[in-house]
Amino acid sequence: MTDPQYDGAGAGDYPLNCWYVVATSDEIGRSLLGRRALGRGLVLFRRGEGQVAVLDDRCPHRAAPLSMGTLDGDQVVCGYHGFTYAADGRCVLVPSQRNVPYGAQVRSYPVQERPPFVWAWPGNPALSRGTEPPDLPPLREPGWAVLGGSLEMAVNYLLLHDNALDRTHFPFVHPHRIHRGYVEDPPPLQIEVTETTVSYSRTFAPAPLADWQEQATGLPAGQQYVQRESGTFVSPALHVDEMDIVGPEPAWQVFRGVFIRAFTPVDAGRTLIIWRAARNYAQADEAVAERLREVYEGTMAEDRPLLEAIQAATGGAGGYQVSAAADAAAIRAYQIVEARLAEERGRVHPLRHGGRP
Amino acid sequence: MSSGEAPSAAMLTVFSERRSDLVVTAREVKAEGVVVLTLADPGGGQLLAWTPGAHIDVLLGGTVRQYSLCGSPGDQHAWRIAVLLDPDGRGGSRKVHETLRAGDQVSVRGPRNHFPLHAAPRYVFIAGGIGITPILPMVAMATEAGADWRLWYGGRSRASMAFTDELEPYGERVVVWPQDERGMLPLEEILGAPADGALVYCCGPEGLLAATEQHCGAWPPGALHLERFTARPQPEPEAGEEGAFEVVCQRSGVTVTVPPGTSIIDALDQQGVSVLSSCLEGVCGTCETRVLDGVPDHRDSLLSEDEREANEYMMVCVSRSRSDRLVLDL
Repeated sequence: MTDPQYDGAGAGDYPLNCWYVVATSDEIGRSLLGRRALGRGLVLFRRGEGQVAVLDDRCPHRAAPLSMGTLDGDQVVCGYHGFTYAADGRCVLVPSQRNVPYGAQVRSYPVQERPPFVWAWPGNPALSRGTEPPDLPPLREPGWAVLGGSLEMAVNYLLLHDNALDRTHFPFVHPHRIHRGYVEDPPPLQIEVTETTVSYSRTFAPAPLADWQEQATGLPAGQQYVQRESGTFVSPALHVDEMDIVGPEPAWQVFRGVFIRAFTPVDAGRTLIIWRAARNYAQADEAVAERLREVYEGTMAEDRPLLEAIQAATGGAGGYQVSAAADAAAIRAYQIVEARLAEERGRVHPLRHGGRP
Repeated sequence: MSSGEAPSAAMLTVFSERRSDLVVTAREVKAEGVVVLTLADPGGGQLLAWTPGAHIDVLLGGTVRQYSLCGSPGDQHAWRIAVLLDPDGRGGSRKVHETLRAGDQVSVRGPRNHFPLHAAPRYVFIAGGIGITPILPMVAMATEAGADWRLWYGGRSRASMAFTDELEPYGERVVVWPQDERGMLPLEEILGAPADGALVYCCGPEGLLAATEQHCGAWPPGALHLERFTARPQPEPEAGEEGAFEVVCQRSGVTVTVPPGTSIIDALDQQGVSVLSSCLEGVCGTCETRVLDGVPDHRDSLLSEDEREANEYMMVCVSRSRSDRLVLDL
């Protein structure tokens, strides 16, 4: 595939031909936003007609970050010498001369906005055509209340996927956030795969709820409820958890929480996590929202020191000595990424003649 | 096999492949005996991404059949498969022809790709009959990539060859070769001189695959890529060869003895170690498992000689062991 803008660069351990969340819709307006992501500096802005533009945050002239310049209409004006670029990255004006120097062009990226997420494609633009970022119905359909935030961790994105696909660390790292089903005869993990995704799921025998689950759902305490949970590696850029609590008869109302985490590599050792948590119950209840915010943020905060320490110890390169049966989903995710990387680099993947885990 | 069944208490994890319930949105007869079906999500939802060479499992009653996707990978809302009616086959194609109509529901698994198109400056594509299906999106991709390619497309008769209309725009890059007009594909001419950096992709009946393999003797290793829809004939094991052996599942910490006459996958399942599988004939590659130690006795139809000798992966549905002990990444 030849494309004048595609340099094929990127020595990272993440596939480039993939949609990644680089910002949320509310972050981008009629001014320039600088963002470090995907091993490069990006500058983001909203054009007059509303579409988001994502360009390299670097003037080809003297490498000044374009985000330090200004937005003039739909054009980016470098703050150093006034080199001016259209939203597609073409240089349209150099104030000191009549013509534009040959090769004065900033790389622009394919973008798709699916509020609240802004997805960008760091790879070969030709391969993005016709593809769409993953669909996330709870973020676009009515009937859901959504909260969220973002944070950066000094952790490789694969270690975050590994952590997200692993439930066996919960009794140790998050002991006060789990219900009894996690430790008393937990059911086997049902692992469901496709060529590009892997998910686990399990349904627990009726058990009392954890404190926060009682507080969030308002279900009567001291009773047993059936719960089902699942987690899906949707792409190298996205992990989605679902947790269902089945309410009492006769309504059997399903209290569903969907925890969506976009993992965007910043560099080999840092990841931007943009998360949203949707629920289909107590939609207007601010106290419930605050309680849940504490749960999601608290859980990530509890993982953080361990993951950052593992990152520091391993350089994020994996190379673990032993895996256990419960790591099956995470290992599958590693294989999916490995196959995609092998494919992008035009090499034959050890598994198969290439191209699949 | 293990997929979809209730897990036994001993199982820690149970593998299955995601099943999608799709709807047939169009049915068209594209050539003699060839029906082309368009499949979509009933709610219009996004389908999984795929790459040229990928196939899906179509589940019809008790039968599972593999069909290559032959539409456009850029279309995430419709998949297309082409099914040849095989009157002497195992009944899967007849079921598709006789029972599936526009508006019908159909369950599928996949897609998965064991026949991916690798980047190369030039390609030789060889398709026999319905083997054109994986090749069709490949030539589109090769064209987009700016590669130099030629397709030799053989078939019984012109009327039996699907998609010749869609191949027409490629002009003389495509050589349509109906057997009743021109005889067998001239493999000697096609493969006589290995072209620099070229890869060969071939899909079709066993006879064509075997002949292509033979004619590629002078090509560099790794240049030839084949896709089989049915198991390659296997040599009969010699008397006394079929001994028992031990399989150690490294991650699970479980050791299983595999007696003669029992497959590795069944022996593991009985001990609560679940392995993803589909065809159980060594064709589809779903149960591919990493070998950590020991020497497999490969009996699948997928791995090349080089891959067999590399000793890294095996298909545990049909393959066995040459050593007394195999250590697998399970």
